Amino acid sequence: MVNFISIDDGRAVGQEVHDPHPHRNQLANPSNPCESIPFSLTPTSPLQSTSVPPSSRSPRLNWSEQIDTGSSIYSHVLLSISKDSTMANTIRLYLTCIRNTLEAAMCLQNFPCQEVERHNKPEVELNTSPELIMNPVLICRNEAEKCLIETSINSIRISMKVKQADELENILAKKFLRFLSMRAEAFQVLRRKPVQGYDISFLITNYHCEEMHKHKLIDFIVQFMEDIDKEISELKLSVNTRGRLVATEFLKQFI
Amino acid sequence: MILLQSPSRFLLQILHDRLLSQDKGVDIDCQTVEFDDVRYHIQVSMRNPKVLVLSVALPLPPEEAASFDGLPFGAIEAIKAAYGPVVQILDPPKDGFDLTLKINLAKLPSDEEQKNAILLQIASIREVVLGAPLKILLKNLSMKTVGPEAGQPVALVHRPNESFFVVPQADKATVVYPMRFLDSIDIVLATSFLQEFVEARRTAALNNAPACMWSQSPPPELKGAPESALTANAGFVTFVVNPRHVEGKKLDRTVWNLLTFHAYVSYHVKCSEGFMHTRMRRRVDTLIQALDRAKSDAEKLKKMVTGPSFKKWFVI
Repeated sequence: MVNFISIDDGRAVGQEVHDPHPHRNQLANPSNPCESIPFSLTPTSPLQSTSVPPSSRSPRLNWSEQIDTGSSIYSHVLLSISKDSTMANTIRLYLTCIRNTLEAAMCLQNFPCQEVERHNKPEVELNTSPELIMNPVLICRNEAEKCLIETSINSIRISMKVKQADELENILAKKFLRFLSMRAEAFQVLRRKPVQGYDISFLITNYHCEEMHKHKLIDFIVQFMEDIDKEISELKLSVNTRGRLVATEFLKQFI
Repeated sequence: MILLQSPSRFLLQILHDRLLSQDKGVDIDCQTVEFDDVRYHIQVSMRNPKVLVLSVALPLPPEEAASFDGLPFGAIEAIKAAYGPVVQILDPPKDGFDLTLKINLAKLPSDEEQKNAILLQIASIREVVLGAPLKILLKNLSMKTVGPEAGQPVALVHRPNESFFVVPQADKATVVYPMRFLDSIDIVLATSFLQEFVEARRTAALNNAPACMWSQSPPPELKGAPESALTANAGFVTFVVNPRHVEGKKLDRTVWNLLTFHAYVSYHVKCSEGFMHTRMRRRVDTLIQALDRAKSDAEKLKKMVTGPSFKKWFVI
């Protein structure tokens, strides 16, 4: 049920998952192209053949798309990165992939609740009616970092798992993300509690899309992700620098 | 202020003020608490303006660091040696305190420099009293003699209900600190700080500093120590002090630094957490500004024109 997109160093990992509920993608309003085709991922770099020599520095993009006539579309993206590329390359690709997915997925419209009169609820949180929920997409950078994007007709939920290499990064990430989650009111699109299995979650509804420009909202989400990574590595660096300074001052006293 | 200062600023301030105001001034009766459960109570009455009564309460010692009459070993001799006729020990100490001193300002030397030095020394009462046993052990080291406890860990108090260990030998003294912290975040930060100590010692500039080691499990020097002292959630730090670290003028500074090592690390862990909070708040502000940019101009105009009172009216 999940479209699985994995960006991995040196290995190509990706699975094509068959959707047991093909009717899910047939929505009430076929005129809106966004709804009938859940994701048409357009890669920013042009299609390249697989015969590119491995010594080249640019990542090879193997792109295969299978369209099953009549029912659903599932696509998988295999990103096999040549072994010389650095970590900096993968973060750009990861964020670009997320950005493109969000651009395709963020087509929200107002949808009053079907069960209760005069109520208007974010359908992605309730998960009751299968015709309103679209296939979730999981974008993995590696085993530790991933991003889950679940869309419905009037809301989209984005959950992120942040990289935590060692004990120190673990507590710094936890502290920082708790700090942000407590201020969810100020952020409006942030969810107070992350989805189970993830570190932080966003909930964007059609009202947010009406108030704010869609592309700027996506810019904000991507910038948020970058900022979290940057902040955690800067906090770790500041702790190490301070530790070094403290130790040097103390030991200097004995000389 | 990176390093912890030996003279207590509270005491120093009061002493200087008292000296400046001579026969004028009011009665003073102040209490204060310093880090690691050290309390001061200072009293001056205008009937005897030249006499200050200073009471000191020390941290509660654990069982392995036994105290003699409530004071660390050698404290009374250290006080007499440091202050001479200016200070007189009152026995029994005031209720709730471990030590009471009567300071006679009339007996201060007239020379300005010596007077300031004695006042500074009085404000460092904590170092004199708590550091007395450590000072004796390190003095033995500098004279290359050993007392009766050679090779055995000696427990000394530095925090309430916790002690650190000194293993004196003829040519060196090994000081072992079991580091304990209450908060889980403190533990992780302190562990990374303590590992930096080991790294910093390896740099060439600090070759003359005491050798520094960190380990998660109790080091072999602590073999004779009681079981309760051997649990530490942030590991054990070991310093090896050589005679050249304790000769002459360096002895006092070394005693103070070793005495307050745990407090020093704890202080910097807390500073680090405070700094992280400031950074996180700044980052939150930046992100909210980014979100504001996403708002359409029509929304912003609407928010500017209609105030909150207008919205309230609509709800009704």
